[in-house]
Amino acid sequence: MKKNTFYLFIGCIALALLALFWYSVEIHNQLLIEVAFIIGIVIIYLARRKVTDLIEDERSRKITQIAAMRTFQVFWVVFCAFSIGAVMQMLRVPSFPRERGFERPPMDILPPEIMPLKMMGYVQLGLLCLMIFLYVGFRFYYARKYGDWETDEE
Amino acid sequence: MHDMTQEDLAQTIGVTRQTILAIEKGKYVPSLDLAFRIARHFNVNIEEVFTYDEEVRSVEID
Repeated sequence: MKKNTFYLFIGCIALALLALFWYSVEIHNQLLIEVAFIIGIVIIYLARRKVTDLIEDERSRKITQIAAMRTFQVFWVVFCAFSIGAVMQMLRVPSFPRERGFERPPMDILPPEIMPLKMMGYVQLGLLCLMIFLYVGFRFYYARKYGDWETDEE
Repeated sequence: MHDMTQEDLAQTIGVTRQTILAIEKGKYVPSLDLAFRIARHFNVNIEEVFTYDEEVRSVEID
């Protein structure tokens, strides 16, 4: 399989997943899109192994490795900061000594109301987008650093 | 001496032309394995193709 054919194939898979997403919303079946997504990614990985003109050498592997490592280094800090904030919201029970007459804030807000489960999907998607942006940014940076766009044929 | 293009060399030793170009320009320091493959391709010792440059190495580490 040629590289361009592979990219077209990815486009077709993406369109099929979009259609399945819409259909799973219509029939209220989240398992359908979840399973379809996993199968789609596996198919793309399998198809990638059939691509003949996509050469991966030690330099490209190094770029991928460093970009992934830097993404992880930044992402875990953001993820941890968000998680700490979320846990703080759930554990908002003041335990320090207070002045007389201090009234504790009402504890009628339970964790599900603070962060409904439905909202978690949006948050996770946001974090996933952040991770993708970070990876793409780092990849561009290191690809440039290791001479991906140099041109001077002798 | 060796009338060949970067593309020819890249194909022969199994890397991309960009890698050959990056090595030539000092933007990428090849692994020992790749350095030996390049040297063997030209039938010379590795020291005749590559020299150790402290400054390039320090940039690489950064």
